[in-house]
Amino acid sequence: MGLVFVIIQIALLILVAPLVSGIIRKIKNNMRMRKGPSVLQPYYDLAKLFAKDRVISKDTSWIFRITPFVILASTIAAASLVPVLASKISLYRMGDFLTIIFILALGRFFMCLAALDAGSAFGGMGSSREMFISSLVEPVALLSVFAVSMNASSTSIAVLSGVHAVRLSSIVAAISFFIVTIVETSRIPVDNKETHLELTMIHEAMVLEYSGPSLAMIELAAHVKQIVFFSILANVVLPWGMAGSLTGLQPAVGLAVYSLKIAGISLIIAMMEISMAKMRLFRVVDLLSFAIALSILAVIISAGGM
Amino acid sequence: MLFRTEIFEDKHMGYLNIKFSLLFDPLSLFFLVVILLVSAPSALYSVGYMKGEYPGRKIALGWALLIAFIVSMALVVTVNNALIFLIAWESMSLISYFLVTFDTHSEKSVRAGVIYIVMTHIGTAFITIALLIFHKYAGSFDMNAFKAAASGMPLNIRNTVFILLLAGFGTKAGIVPLHIWLPYAHPQAPSHISSLMSGVMIKTAIYGILRFIVFTLGVGDLWWANLILVLAMVSCLVGVMYALMERDIKKLLAYSSVENMGIIFLGVGASMLFMKMEMPVLAVFALSAGLYHLVNHAIFKSLLFLCAGAVYKYTGTRNMEKLGGLIKSMPWTAAAFLVGAMAISAVAPLNGFVSEWLTLQAFFMGAVAAAGGYKIFLACAAAVLALTGGLAASCFVKAFGMTFLAMPRSVKYEGAKDASLTMKISMAFLAILVFVSAFAAAAIIKALVMVSGCATRINTAHMNFTLNNFTLAPQNGSGACLSTPAAALAITVLVIIAAAAFYLGTRKSKTVIDRTWDCGYYKLSPRTEYSATAFSKPFRIAFGFFLLPYTRTEKIRESFYHIKSFKYEVFFTPIFKRYIYEPAINAVFVIARHIKKLQPGSIHVYLAYIFVTILALIIFINRF
Amino acid sequence: MHIDLFLFGIMAVTFAMVIAKRMSALINAFAAQSFFLFLVTLSLAVRSGHLDLYIVAVLLFLLKVLLIPYFLKRVVKKIKVKEDLGLFINPAVSVFLAMALTYMAYLFTVKFISIQGKIENSEFFVSLSVALIGMFIMVFRQKALAQIIGLMVMENGLFLSAASVSGGMPFFVEIAIFFDIFLCVIILGMFVYRINRIFTHIDVDKLTELKG
Repeated sequence: MGLVFVIIQIALLILVAPLVSGIIRKIKNNMRMRKGPSVLQPYYDLAKLFAKDRVISKDTSWIFRITPFVILASTIAAASLVPVLASKISLYRMGDFLTIIFILALGRFFMCLAALDAGSAFGGMGSSREMFISSLVEPVALLSVFAVSMNASSTSIAVLSGVHAVRLSSIVAAISFFIVTIVETSRIPVDNKETHLELTMIHEAMVLEYSGPSLAMIELAAHVKQIVFFSILANVVLPWGMAGSLTGLQPAVGLAVYSLKIAGISLIIAMMEISMAKMRLFRVVDLLSFAIALSILAVIISAGGM
Repeated sequence: MLFRTEIFEDKHMGYLNIKFSLLFDPLSLFFLVVILLVSAPSALYSVGYMKGEYPGRKIALGWALLIAFIVSMALVVTVNNALIFLIAWESMSLISYFLVTFDTHSEKSVRAGVIYIVMTHIGTAFITIALLIFHKYAGSFDMNAFKAAASGMPLNIRNTVFILLLAGFGTKAGIVPLHIWLPYAHPQAPSHISSLMSGVMIKTAIYGILRFIVFTLGVGDLWWANLILVLAMVSCLVGVMYALMERDIKKLLAYSSVENMGIIFLGVGASMLFMKMEMPVLAVFALSAGLYHLVNHAIFKSLLFLCAGAVYKYTGTRNMEKLGGLIKSMPWTAAAFLVGAMAISAVAPLNGFVSEWLTLQAFFMGAVAAAGGYKIFLACAAAVLALTGGLAASCFVKAFGMTFLAMPRSVKYEGAKDASLTMKISMAFLAILVFVSAFAAAAIIKALVMVSGCATRINTAHMNFTLNNFTLAPQNGSGACLSTPAAALAITVLVIIAAAAFYLGTRKSKTVIDRTWDCGYYKLSPRTEYSATAFSKPFRIAFGFFLLPYTRTEKIRESFYHIKSFKYEVFFTPIFKRYIYEPAINAVFVIARHIKKLQPGSIHVYLAYIFVTILALIIFINRF
Repeated sequence: MHIDLFLFGIMAVTFAMVIAKRMSALINAFAAQSFFLFLVTLSLAVRSGHLDLYIVAVLLFLLKVLLIPYFLKRVVKKIKVKEDLGLFINPAVSVFLAMALTYMAYLFTVKFISIQGKIENSEFFVSLSVALIGMFIMVFRQKALAQIIGLMVMENGLFLSAASVSGGMPFFVEIAIFFDIFLCVIILGMFVYRINRIFTHIDVDKLTELKG
């Protein structure tokens, strides 16, 4: 019974994911005083890519071919753990907050391998940078998870999204988890999704060899990953206003609050992308050490009872 | 403790009064199972590996040594008598020395053997002193007597014994800073021996610590656990950082063993901390998490070493910078290595992920239950574990990617044959074990709780860390859950759905096979691929304050304006070797040189020594 | 609760100061830190109701958030040197050293002010760590401007510690300190300008040649 709702929720997330990317791009273009493409453009892009032919390099192996499926599957599996409709509507018996990070690691592992598979310097560089930054961001993510979980004494998502108290440590953990979100969704100041110059790309360098339907699947996985992180920020780290169960008006109110939170996060990210320049790779290390300091502060504040 | 049998109660060796008995309690049985589980595929592997490499007589010698090695390890974990334990421990080290230097023609093997035997002997010396101190308080070498006497020892004696045992067993386990023999000995040994050493032999050190410190001595003080946790954290980070810099596959795997032993010690140290803090449930849970990682590491590290051995046998090199593209010529080896790499990188839903999740949960629950400063200490330990998990994943992406993917980087090493049948069967067996230990997590945890209860002497009859047969629930079903079969099922179902959608949607489009995208350069060659050194360059720069890299360049000129070729070498400073071991070794040699003056070679001086000694003895006896 | 939020803001901005690599970034971070300090003082003023604290808060805002950063930025623009701050220790290691300093401040706070497990007297702890990190910035950055900012940060920390321990220093003492600070900054700014005019750089390390 609950499984049906989980499947509905996952389908909802997948459908809405490209829309969130479109909204962020629209906000950015508005602030740049441009009109830009419509909010539904990512859907048109995916459809267009699906209709194209594929070009596969002759140097690659079966790892290159199965990677898009693995990435999409792992991202959707992570999405199944995130509650949107109500706090118990997720596969919380399959895994907890820590599991999300490790399931996404599966996708990243295969993505980096596939990038190395083509034998071009772009792929090697992208995969080296991606593994570097993601290994530095793991302690930040973990400590933010710990800070939030120590308040509720459990890392289970069902418990965490049912918390209603407003605490300082949750706010601090939200800030450091926000930095994690920027890193994992490849936003400025860490990475630029709109560029294709090798000096400035990390995520784009890894998917350079993919074309056609494979690229469509990888793009869809990137959109879903983005909305997964936003939903975690909205519903697990700052879960106020979430529906406790599927009775009465709670889901409607919960969905409204959730949309507001997603819109707020999109606005903040769009404003950050406009106003900052992308940092150089070793400056990102400094940003991440600042994030580690913040997350340790979050744990300290949580240990202090606040 | 469900069963605890002692057998062979005979053989009183004269006045030493030694009772040779074997003890089969859950702790010993667990280690015995791990030893046999990993030895069987390694032995099978050696059939195919040694064929054609060595002459027949040498293969027979290799088999004899292998059997003796396995028997000695089995003895180490089951004897109930400290003296026999020492004998078994020494023989294990000696036999493994002969196995490390099996390639007697290679100078590197001989040198590795020397470093290995010296360090192992130093460790055994520490253990011997500790056991002798025990004997003084217990009156006999029987381990039951040790346990009875442990509570009677004064506090500073217990601290001393703890430090000695930690140093001794830490040398065998490869804890920083006693780890330097690992990256020399493990690469040079034949691959099935490397897998046995890395998968099983260093785990006997954990057995020693559990048996002698946790089981017999009891946790005396809080700083014991803190020391082990700090050493474990340092080992994790140092091991994985050096592993990232390596280009030799087996050396990389050896450093990664240092890191994984650090993770196991994190579980053991946390368990000791919780024991001292009077939190028995958490103590058992933390130790179970550490032991689970022990099993997992034994399985996937052996698998990785066997695959590396296959690569070495059929290509002739261990240098990743010269390999590449082997996935096309050695598909089964590549698949096995991929499974091992995924497992060690703690990628869901394989077994490395389960043990890391359990260790993180142990730290989390400890942080919730502990007070004040320990909350933050345990949270930081968990952060260190997360960091090493990420770095280990990078390390194995590099290892797998450089060795097996893309195009071969050197013409000499392409076109290798795939592994022979026995090698394939052993690798496949271990790969299947990886999946078994990942999906049967609940059953394995139930067994491990029994083992931990025996080791920590806590009654675990009421402890339940699973929800049903497929789900782990450390907080007795109310908190977080993890179900690896469910996760694997979800991912597989999603892959199938995605593939079905893909093939239904792309029936009309076609796939073109063409060159890699080259920006119009048109002449991409293996030389333009990313190399292993290049892959780890961001790490080399970011962690430069620890690795202290330096470069050496050399320009070969035809004339002043025309440089024919440019040589660029990158090194990193091995700080433990340079700042700890080399000064110590130099000091030993300086002292030896001074003592050499006592031996001038002249017969008169030697006669004078004897004369002086006799005179001194007469005076001494006269006086007293 | 909001005092804790502002105190966290002070700590976070102080850490951001440690990773700053450009002079304008350091000055902006100082202005942000002073703004959070203004908010803390305002909350204390609202809580206690004294008029003095309101005046002190407004002075803090005018001087440290508006005037002093504006003045320092003018100096930076006039001397036209490169914005690089000249770090002796790279930012990542600096952050860890700053965390170690914070831990030392925590130990000191626990020892000398009785705390029972909760970070109750968090104001004193935050102020002490801010003062220590200010000293860290003074020692480990090359440019003279970093020394000025480090001094200002230390003064911020001491102001906060006075506010937390005693509920604010006597009113006239505070006014006098404010004037002192203001004059101090003007004089130091002029010094920096003159040093740059004569030596064409403000690298304090190179000024060691000024020996007898």
